[in-house]
Amino acid sequence: MIQRLSLASRLALLFAGCTAVVSLLAGVLFNHASEAHFIELDQQQLDSKLVALRSTLQGVDSPHAFAQREPQLRADLSHQPDLTLRITAAGQRWLDDAPGMALPDAPGLHSLQNAGTAYRVYNAALSPGQPGSAQLTLILDITHHQHFLQRMQRLIWLTVGLSALATALLGAWAARSGLRPLRRMGEVAAGVSAHSLTQRLPQQQMPAELAELAQTFNAMLGRLDDAFQRLSAFSADIAHELRTPLSNLLTQTQVILTQPRPLEDYREALHSNLEELQRMAQLVNDMLYLAKADHGLLTPKREPLALADEVEAMLEFFALLAEDAQVSLGGEGQAHTTGDRGMLRRALSNLLENALRFTPAGGEVRVCLAEDERGVRLTVENSGKGIPADVLPKLFDRFYRADPARREGSSEHAGLGLAITQSIVRAHGGRIFCESEVGWARFVIELPKGD
Amino acid sequence: MKLLIVEDQPKTGHYLRQGLAEAGFTTELVADGTTGQHLALTGDYDLLILDVMLPGRDGWQILQAVRSAGLDIPVLFLTARDAVEDRVHGLELGADDYLVKPFAFSELLARVRSLLRRGSSAPQETHLQLADLRLDLIRRRVERSGQRIDLTAKEFSLLELLLRRQGEVLPKSLIASQVWDMNFDSDTNIIEVAIRRLRLKVDDAYPNKLIHTVRGMGYVLEERFT
Repeated sequence: MIQRLSLASRLALLFAGCTAVVSLLAGVLFNHASEAHFIELDQQQLDSKLVALRSTLQGVDSPHAFAQREPQLRADLSHQPDLTLRITAAGQRWLDDAPGMALPDAPGLHSLQNAGTAYRVYNAALSPGQPGSAQLTLILDITHHQHFLQRMQRLIWLTVGLSALATALLGAWAARSGLRPLRRMGEVAAGVSAHSLTQRLPQQQMPAELAELAQTFNAMLGRLDDAFQRLSAFSADIAHELRTPLSNLLTQTQVILTQPRPLEDYREALHSNLEELQRMAQLVNDMLYLAKADHGLLTPKREPLALADEVEAMLEFFALLAEDAQVSLGGEGQAHTTGDRGMLRRALSNLLENALRFTPAGGEVRVCLAEDERGVRLTVENSGKGIPADVLPKLFDRFYRADPARREGSSEHAGLGLAITQSIVRAHGGRIFCESEVGWARFVIELPKGD
Repeated sequence: MKLLIVEDQPKTGHYLRQGLAEAGFTTELVADGTTGQHLALTGDYDLLILDVMLPGRDGWQILQAVRSAGLDIPVLFLTARDAVEDRVHGLELGADDYLVKPFAFSELLARVRSLLRRGSSAPQETHLQLADLRLDLIRRRVERSGQRIDLTAKEFSLLELLLRRQGEVLPKSLIASQVWDMNFDSDTNIIEVAIRRLRLKVDDAYPNKLIHTVRGMGYVLEERFT
């Protein structure tokens, strides 16, 4: 039930509850204090009356002596309408102004209720220290005290109720104004859509408690914005990458069909079309591969692999290309892991191809393997210009090409190779990054240790 | 060699049939699964080419019916579906190979020939030959017009593949897979470089060229008379 209340109502209710408890506690304490105070007052009053009675009845030790003093006693008592007296000695009641009232026998002060009236009863010996002395029982009517206490209790309840109500209202108001930044946050969140991902919460104006939340929220918006930008850039890139070969195909086919030509021309046009189509097919296949990786459908086999053998096979495969480009290609080190041979070969192939493409003649490409208790490390390092630091984070983006001259769709490399490599490495639970300085660039794959 | 193609897309079916017919196969094309299954069970085919998504009965069902009838015909699946589970599913049911659309026709042709060759055990050859090119499998030596040619191990394997499948257009992906065991799509031009080097040793010094490039499709080893 309370979970469904608004935060402001919840706070208001809590405030009201706290105030009620506090004022109730104060009331109870005050009530107790006044009651104790009244008891003290009554005690003093009864003590003074006792002194007066004792002096009036001094030396009385028999009913006979009492009878002599009784008129004086009566005269004294007549001035004190709230006092009633009972005198008991050796089981006999010498005087009983309250016949039929059951009174406690123990000496000292007692409180009791009789027929709707409250009394204070005080038992004391007439002559203290004398054995067999008569027992005085003073009965004081304290109705007026009780009335006062009752009035006060009513007042306390009223105060409790009213202050709770007041704090509930004030609390509701305070909570509403205190929670205004939260509402503003809600408004911004409600306004977020694919077109307004750039909106941010004003972090500086936020109270300390919400600043962190606002920061988290802004960071989330930032990530969303980034992902969304990448996605829309990806779609735009796909369209662009496909548009170039498509327009080539359209133009070429239309031109070739405008007039009769020698057979050889048709063949040539078809071959050219075939090349464009193959590029498109490759692009679509690569994109499907990436889409599968994005959906977590890239499930590598887990076979034990001696990576040195795989690297050797890859180096053999690339040896011709390296020789052609006059680049020295070599590998060193040992490492073992479990993974998918085909997928890892593809990843390594992309890295080697990339490295060879950017290594000038006379340069070097080196593959190094290392393993320790934490995992396996495979690096592909090449000499060359190196990669500028601002480009490093973009290298694994789809359709990113380090060489601006290759940006147009005419290139046979669509710029998906490193993105695919990254997907493969991630599917194996590893990570890939690139480091570079002037003169060299190094791609590092870190894989978890084999089982 | 008689082939059955079950493919519901008319254009795909048509070009498959034409391409395979021109490659020397007798083909029959049906567009729905029910007829396809009936023909597969009753006709005497050497190979089935099945699409997965078909009206009537799908490719998996046809394959199951064929296998449970005890027929051991090689089956090649063509599909636009490329989920790993699908691949595993197809192979579990007894499919022999699997091609994902879009695929190159030369790739399909190469796989069809591989599947058909699998059944017949070729006699152990000691020599492969085309025109004046002669490859000695036992001593691993190559001669052309009686002259010895020195080849590296990979060059030898490449030439052996071309010779064994002479007259067939071999796509680059098939060459990478057979010679280097690289079974992934790669847009590298390594195969081009390898072929160029092989040509340098095998073809360049001789007027009668044997290794030919088929643009956009692959390479073929054959004697061409111009």
